[in-house]
Amino acid sequence: MQPPGGPPQKIALPNIKNIVAVASGKGGVGKSTVAANLALALAAVSPRVGLMDADIYGPSVPIMMGIREVVDQRTTAFPMERHGLKLMSMGFLVPPEQAVIWRGPMVHRALVQFLTDLNWGPLDYLVIDLPPGTGDAQLTLTQTAPLSGAVIVTTPQDVALIDARKGLEMFRQVRVPVLGIVENMSYFEGEDGKRVHLFGQGGGRKLANEAGVPFLGEIPIDPRVAECGDDGEPIVCKYPESGVAKAYRTLAATVAERLQSIDKGPELPEVQL
Amino acid sequence: MSQSESLIPVAIRKDGPEHLLIEWSDGHRSVYAWQHLRDHCPCAGCRDEREKPTDPFRILKPNELVPLAPISMPPVGRYAYKIVWSDGHDSGIYTLDHLRSLCQCPQCSNR
Repeated sequence: MQPPGGPPQKIALPNIKNIVAVASGKGGVGKSTVAANLALALAAVSPRVGLMDADIYGPSVPIMMGIREVVDQRTTAFPMERHGLKLMSMGFLVPPEQAVIWRGPMVHRALVQFLTDLNWGPLDYLVIDLPPGTGDAQLTLTQTAPLSGAVIVTTPQDVALIDARKGLEMFRQVRVPVLGIVENMSYFEGEDGKRVHLFGQGGGRKLANEAGVPFLGEIPIDPRVAECGDDGEPIVCKYPESGVAKAYRTLAATVAERLQSIDKGPELPEVQL
Repeated sequence: MSQSESLIPVAIRKDGPEHLLIEWSDGHRSVYAWQHLRDHCPCAGCRDEREKPTDPFRILKPNELVPLAPISMPPVGRYAYKIVWSDGHDSGIYTLDHLRSLCQCPQCSNR
């Protein structure tokens, strides 16, 4: 595995207690939705939380957080603030209709700037929404940022589980602790309380068992999740009493607990030449 | 976590001008010739070069005429080291697993 350009310089972020990467092997599993709602659920118990959108090519955080307009970089302080979160995304800088056509080294530079050039202030948690796959953004962050751990998002069906396994394996290879697997869109709960498993059942739990990592929980599917994302007010904020919001609060508590107990292992010793 | 995943260097240093010494968390001591590490550089360019048939008429470049030496060896995340060489080559990321597999001690060499 090679760096996406230039020597990987280790970044020190002493003001950020926990940096959590939210990842998936596959796109479309709701990773950005999970990252946004997890950050908000964490912020409900710990007010100093940031959300960094590491998807340079397809940023979702601006729409989900209700910042649709491109902001004036000369007059706006980054990270921006919305719903009590500190936020940074490429989508604040580039109009939605404009494609970011960058090779890896430019992605690397942008992500390092997001982490080092912005005044995040003291944070208890910085949630990083990764793009799908195991590419440049993942490599940059695992090589340079002091990640506390990774949450792997999957949906129950095999096609997502196959790719989630790859994401999991990547974090293992780069020795970033995997906090666990969360299964999104697990089931739909009707008004009669009956659960319908639209995409199969138990896939996320099975993958967690096979991989020997904790299963962090199931997030139900709810049409209001998409509505809230498009309206810029995630479901944890807009419908805090919904089953989905409750599932996110449980997930946040589990993640916080895992971060307390996880052994990050020692830093590698420096080499004197 | 498997045993290989938990293996880390507890000490790593230059051993004379020609060698690198790593003491691992399982007590194993690995000694490597710098040239051996360079010959097994895992970067895409070096891998590609190794797969090509040897050209008997290849002309050495000026930087190949001076002795090769490591300049620095910073850690990469918690899983690898990068070696910066005196000829400017610096794109090889040596994972801990790769370093362990390259060990030249008699015990490992006989495997």
